[in-house]
Amino acid sequence: MKKITYGQAVNEALDEEMARDEAVYCIGEDISVGLYGVTAGLIEKYGKDRVRDTPIAETAICGSCIGAALAGLRPVADLMFADFMYVAMDEFKNAGLWRFANGGTMSLPIVFRMPMGGYGRMGSDHSRAPLSSIWHLAGIKVVVPSTAADVKGLLKTAIRDNNPVCFFEHKQLYAVEGQVPEGEYTIPFGKADVKKEGKDVTLVATGLMVPWSLEAASALEASKGISVEVIDPRTLEPLDLDTIIASVNKTGRVVLVEEDMLRCGASAEIAVQIMENAFDSLDAPIVRVGAANVPIAGGFAEDFVLPQKKDIPAAIEKVLGA
Amino acid sequence: MKLEKDDLVRLFRTMLLARRVDEAMVDGLASGKIPSFWHSGQGNEATAVGGTLFLRKDDWVMGGARGHGVHQYIAKGMDFKGLLAEHCAKSTGCCGGWTGFHAADLTVGVPGGCGTVGSTFPVAVGLGLACKAKGKDNVVVAFFGDGASNRGTLHESFNLAAIWNLPIVWVCENNEYAIFMHVSEHYAGKDIADLAYGYAMPGVVVDGQDAVAVAEAVMTAVERARAGEGPSLVECKTLRLRPHLEGIGYLRGTVPVSEEELQELNRRDPINLLKTSLMDRGILTEEMVASMDKEIREEIEQAEKFVDESPIPDPKVMFASMYAD
Repeated sequence: MKKITYGQAVNEALDEEMARDEAVYCIGEDISVGLYGVTAGLIEKYGKDRVRDTPIAETAICGSCIGAALAGLRPVADLMFADFMYVAMDEFKNAGLWRFANGGTMSLPIVFRMPMGGYGRMGSDHSRAPLSSIWHLAGIKVVVPSTAADVKGLLKTAIRDNNPVCFFEHKQLYAVEGQVPEGEYTIPFGKADVKKEGKDVTLVATGLMVPWSLEAASALEASKGISVEVIDPRTLEPLDLDTIIASVNKTGRVVLVEEDMLRCGASAEIAVQIMENAFDSLDAPIVRVGAANVPIAGGFAEDFVLPQKKDIPAAIEKVLGA
Repeated sequence: MKLEKDDLVRLFRTMLLARRVDEAMVDGLASGKIPSFWHSGQGNEATAVGGTLFLRKDDWVMGGARGHGVHQYIAKGMDFKGLLAEHCAKSTGCCGGWTGFHAADLTVGVPGGCGTVGSTFPVAVGLGLACKAKGKDNVVVAFFGDGASNRGTLHESFNLAAIWNLPIVWVCENNEYAIFMHVSEHYAGKDIADLAYGYAMPGVVVDGQDAVAVAEAVMTAVERARAGEGPSLVECKTLRLRPHLEGIGYLRGTVPVSEEELQELNRRDPINLLKTSLMDRGILTEEMVASMDKEIREEIEQAEKFVDESPIPDPKVMFASMYAD
């Protein structure tokens, strides 16, 4: 194992996959520099044809990936801010439907890298974690890594997948260090990771909410002896429901933590699937933590909208009836 | 490029075939065999076929909204039986019979489509990028209507294709109508070809009822793209013989287009114009045309029978097709 940051892990995955397969190329606004540094160094190694800076043109960036993938390339688009996907929503919809709506024979190996998330006080269009907007489109795989090891292994899998993948990297995690295996490895889609085992409460979280939930779980264990099982699904599409249901059957209590708006959020879908598959195991109503149903406020007012660290232990105690 | 006698006969025959298939679609909708809809492309055979027929198999073509690209795709080498079956929602359709009206065949350079007008522009950019990245001299010909020219996707895509010098020929089939809205209401300029100026690419206007002129203009742009000289825009001034959608009126705004105007449009039917010209040059005779037409009608009859006998899609096949392995 070696210790690198989440951002370095993204860079290593891109570098390794570009070296492995000439069809892989990166495309996006100013990626030769890279706002977060994660694409740095690639242009020197692979040249400007494979590290393609674009004008400000999200629609053409994302739409061109469809054509390039159909013609045998493997584009990796960088949206810079996941929020910018709304500029190109028709292209995301089309990437997802293209195979199915054209007979189901072609493949579209596309990765849309979506740096997401708040806590930078950047307001309504640079802070969202818009997972459910994409999960609600048919035909796109949705990946949300929370650690350096996961982001590397999952990005390599995403680049090798023959379908469109929206890969949500959390901006606040780029600088966070973690242990990463040496050498070549990939992580399969549809396999949740139980980040911490527990017996009293099942907590499902994604992205930045995973380390926050682990912090809350450790604190409650130390202070009150509450044992929380923290599950990171890692991919929403496909969703590893089996791991979640097995845990719910064990604990009988569920907390769902997400950064996105609660209304029609990923946690709403997961909650219903738990209800449909493990209703008899539930000892209490499911408790959710997420953003308020308003645009994300900028500046200090961001705290009023986005879920805060203190909300997670409060939710765990609530589901226990404490 | 100079079209030889054989090319001209093939051009005429393919245009006639496209017309007869279009008529079969109109009939299929009226008889209820087509459960979705049909946006007839009658009147655009010179642009659609003329702009496609002389491409190579490894070139890419994206059709526009009119005729759902069927006229182009027949000219590109797709079997019209599969196109008809797709519209009739049968499992023998070119896309499995569950797409309503889509067409795709990667083996002849038809990448498929979607239902939003003007969304093909950026997809064409990606195809062009792949042609260039693979270092081959195949090209992309992307058709769009005057209506699609209003989309913002045009700007982003024209710009990327131009700055990256991609092998793309943008072909505008300007039939003067975006649904009911006349081009004079939806476009402030004179020619859509003028847009080319802003992207430092050639922009030409051709008579879209003259199949030979269209073929020559498009192929000139194609040769330029093959030579690595970048994108071009060809605007074909054409017309629409039938309404936007079968079953609705031919309106200009809220006002029905007059009988006289429709008759004038019919006088500029591109198939009749090419027939007259080729007969004048002694390349075609009435007998040749009659025998060609008979042959085409028989082929269509057989195709219709095949489609009638085909089953509807198997939902298991459809659902299993969601993701690639």
